[in-house]
Amino acid sequence: MSQSLRPYLQAVRSSLTAALCLSNFASQTAERHNVPEVEARTSPEVLLTPLTIARNENERVLIEPSINSIRISIKIKQADEIEHILVHKFTRFLTQRAESFFILRRKPIKGYDISFLITNFHTEEMLKNKLVDFIIEFMEEVDKEISEMKLFLNARARFVAESFLTPFD
Amino acid sequence: MSIIQQITADDLTDNWRRINIDALDPDSSLNFPTSSLHPPQPEISESDCRNLSSAVRQLLRGGDAEGALRTCLENPVYNGPDGVKEQHLGTVVEVLQSIKASEMSPLLKRVYEGEGGVELLDCLMKYLYKGMGSPGAGSGGVKVMTPQTTGFSQIGGGRNISSGDSTGSAMSVLLSWHEKVVEVAGLGCIGRVMTDFRRV
Repeated sequence: MSQSLRPYLQAVRSSLTAALCLSNFASQTAERHNVPEVEARTSPEVLLTPLTIARNENERVLIEPSINSIRISIKIKQADEIEHILVHKFTRFLTQRAESFFILRRKPIKGYDISFLITNFHTEEMLKNKLVDFIIEFMEEVDKEISEMKLFLNARARFVAESFLTPFD
Repeated sequence: MSIIQQITADDLTDNWRRINIDALDPDSSLNFPTSSLHPPQPEISESDCRNLSSAVRQLLRGGDAEGALRTCLENPVYNGPDGVKEQHLGTVVEVLQSIKASEMSPLLKRVYEGEGGVELLDCLMKYLYKGMGSPGAGSGGVKVMTPQTTGFSQIGGGRNISSGDSTGSAMSVLLSWHEKVVEVAGLGCIGRVMTDFRRV
């Protein structure tokens, strides 16, 4: 892991650990409803201060905590147009399968590439430290995955161009 | 068939169904006054902030980094216009950038063990998150090193946005401070930042 990535992930890890302190909280507006307050935004007193952790302009994480749910949005590093397309395809692939990811949000919030929504029911079912580990691991892996995909794409494009142009040689 | 079409056409043209009626009800939880969640804060004007930042800079020039950090954390801008808040953030970031990496931990320990240390580090944590949240202000501090007024440094910060390198270095300073503060004050510090409704 590169030197500048470590404090970034460490900051995300400690912030997430502190933010994942959720309890059951029924909706105050609709009877017998129990909704993630961070999404419903019907009670301002249970929405806590959002935290931003940034490594630079293009890589940042937004953590929006509330009493019974937190929303984590990640902006993945995109150095150029190709990476932008790859990130879009990759996150689309994941969000279309959000059902089997449990904590993945179907749509990222504005300005970010992918969002997770963790509610108190998730923290009751799953281990909190494993959830934090999952997010951190995802952030580590996604950068690697994107740069790997970019290399493959370039190699493939070169091969295709070569074989396409051979007849004219 | 025609009825359904009529209804959908109605829905598209009339957006009265989209009005959030909870917002119009004074007893609704949506209208909870969040200002009742913290004691009233004194309003800080731009001249107060400017005086404070020049005092802080005086301390920095005298080599008293701890005093400078204490001074700007003891007088956070909780209540004031956005411009003043940004200005104070610039001052804090400037102090943070002028402190060497090797001095961070002992300095934070001294502040933490001193009087009101917990409160001060919570405040520092708020500024760290705010600094990371606003990319323009974070990079402003690098330029402020030359004797300029804070107004100019904000412009300098605005110009720096395009160059990712300088913001990246400003962020890495904030990130290493974040790590050190968590080491000294623990995770409770982040918890208090989140739950405190006095926002910087």
